[in-house]
Amino acid sequence: MPANNQALPGGYALLNYRIDRQISRGGFSIVYRAFDETGQPVAIKEYLPSSLVLRTEGDIVRASSAENLTSFRYGMKCFFEEGRALAKINHPNVVRVLNFFRANETVYMVMRYERGRTLQQQIQMRQDQMSERFVRHVFMQLLNGLREVHTHKILHLDIKPANIYLRTDGSPVLLDFGAARQTLTTNRPKLAPMYTPGFAAPEQYRDHDRLGPWTDVYGTGASMFACLAAFAPQAADARLQEDHLVSAKKIWSGQYSDNLLEVIDWCLRLDPLERPQSVFALQRAIRDIAPVKRKLTFFGNLKRVLFSEIGV
Amino acid sequence: MRFTIFQESRKGAREVNQDRIAYTYSRETLLLVIADGMGGHVGGEIAAQIAVRLFIERFQQEAKPVLRNPLKFMQETMLRAHAALGSYANQFSMLETPRTTCVAVIVQGGHAYWSHVGDSRFYLLRQGKLIATTKDHSKVQYLVDQGLITPEEVVMHPDRNKIFSCLGGMADPVIDLSRRTPILNGDLLILCTDGLWSVCPVREMAAILTSTPILTTAPQMMRDAEARSGPEGDNLSAVIVRWGSETLADEPTTTDNLELGQFATQVDATVTLAERSGDKRDLTDDEIERAIAEIQATIQKYRK
Repeated sequence: MPANNQALPGGYALLNYRIDRQISRGGFSIVYRAFDETGQPVAIKEYLPSSLVLRTEGDIVRASSAENLTSFRYGMKCFFEEGRALAKINHPNVVRVLNFFRANETVYMVMRYERGRTLQQQIQMRQDQMSERFVRHVFMQLLNGLREVHTHKILHLDIKPANIYLRTDGSPVLLDFGAARQTLTTNRPKLAPMYTPGFAAPEQYRDHDRLGPWTDVYGTGASMFACLAAFAPQAADARLQEDHLVSAKKIWSGQYSDNLLEVIDWCLRLDPLERPQSVFALQRAIRDIAPVKRKLTFFGNLKRVLFSEIGV
Repeated sequence: MRFTIFQESRKGAREVNQDRIAYTYSRETLLLVIADGMGGHVGGEIAAQIAVRLFIERFQQEAKPVLRNPLKFMQETMLRAHAALGSYANQFSMLETPRTTCVAVIVQGGHAYWSHVGDSRFYLLRQGKLIATTKDHSKVQYLVDQGLITPEEVVMHPDRNKIFSCLGGMADPVIDLSRRTPILNGDLLILCTDGLWSVCPVREMAAILTSTPILTTAPQMMRDAEARSGPEGDNLSAVIVRWGSETLADEPTTTDNLELGQFATQVDATVTLAERSGDKRDLTDDEIERAIAEIQATIQKYRK
């Protein structure tokens, strides 16, 4: 059982940043809120694989054994992949990397700090069901970001509500490219896969040769499903054994538009070839969804008519 | 060529290791190099890295398999490293040019040649006696030359860290070049940074290493020196070669056996001629620096 790694303390000076507090902690990293020299908040992600390194005091990261040093360095490659992937992308719906540096015998990625909460928290907090409007609004924008990611020949490979951040203005930001791989290029890194049960596509469990945009499409569909259900769909590896997933169309018929439900079911097909083959195809399908007929008030209707006449 | 080589860099009490060490060789020629980066957080490391890399890269371009003129090669490489640091600072809009010391040794055709800038040193020991060394480009060395202080007082002097020549400095570096010096089997060639020589005098190094297998005794010497340097201790690094056959050594054939110094967390940093880099090799410091530089350049490029 690995000992718990100590986070850097508040007030710690890291390069030209000052650590404020720990925001989150995962198996491979700790994320801090910090301030740069102008007082702007930033999020700093520290590469700290808990199974390989130890920091029981101070700031220097040490491998817990000689073999672990090798693995630690090797795992650093994944962290670099994430940095490389994100550095190229400057899109409002994708987390922005501001800096990347080495200190304390490990590496750090500085990202823009966003205020808000994750879609996961949003799902858990809500008492009533999410509106179709909200789901479509969030995912249409998110897909704009994902499309940009795919344009750079990068797959995210870990799309799930916990990695979708909602700013206070409601716009989504795609986070955590820790699993991202430049799989669309020919030299495919042979690294241990990372996946989240329920959101990972079946090909992430076994057919790594078949990863593609449709893999992120599965994660997107599963995330939309989770918005409606407030839980994740059945894990894909279990589905391959015995598929208990009930189609969205069956569960929520009448509560959401048939088209939205059909799109979710389409994304969640086990066979990669049967899903939308690109983000663009998925976006087009979502656009085609006719909004649910809502009862319009007299003024609402009037506003609508006026807006359509002035062409807004 | 037969020789036994040991290299290690330890962090001492510092947060980062700004020393870089490396060696490379062709069938006929061996290059050893150490750089000790100076100053601010990242700058020093980068400077040492650039200097060492430039030596290795140029060596691999020019030693085919011998260098036409080893002394000229070293002088040119030092000057190019100095220029490279200036343009690096420009490229990344750094306020201050990264700076480093550098000492390099070339062994070719039974002779040694060396060159240095700053206060990283080279010692040539024969049968326990110091027969050649570099002279630091430092204020304290000047005081010694003037007879104002003794060599023993150097390590305690308040200005001991002030050097007047370095790569990346405001002024062009003063580059010292050695004579062509014959070397014999059993000779010890030692390159080290001030972190080591300030706590372990050359007499002591000679006593420890002269008639012992260096792959066994040198690591212990490094550990002892680090312990001795205490809570204020600097990074300490050494590249040590025993010329001729000792206990091991295959005839080296290629230049691809390059290893850069690792950080002090790794106790067993000894590199022997038997070591070959395999497929599952981990990232070298060099690759890490390159990856970071690449990511930073990309961030800059896509900033707007």
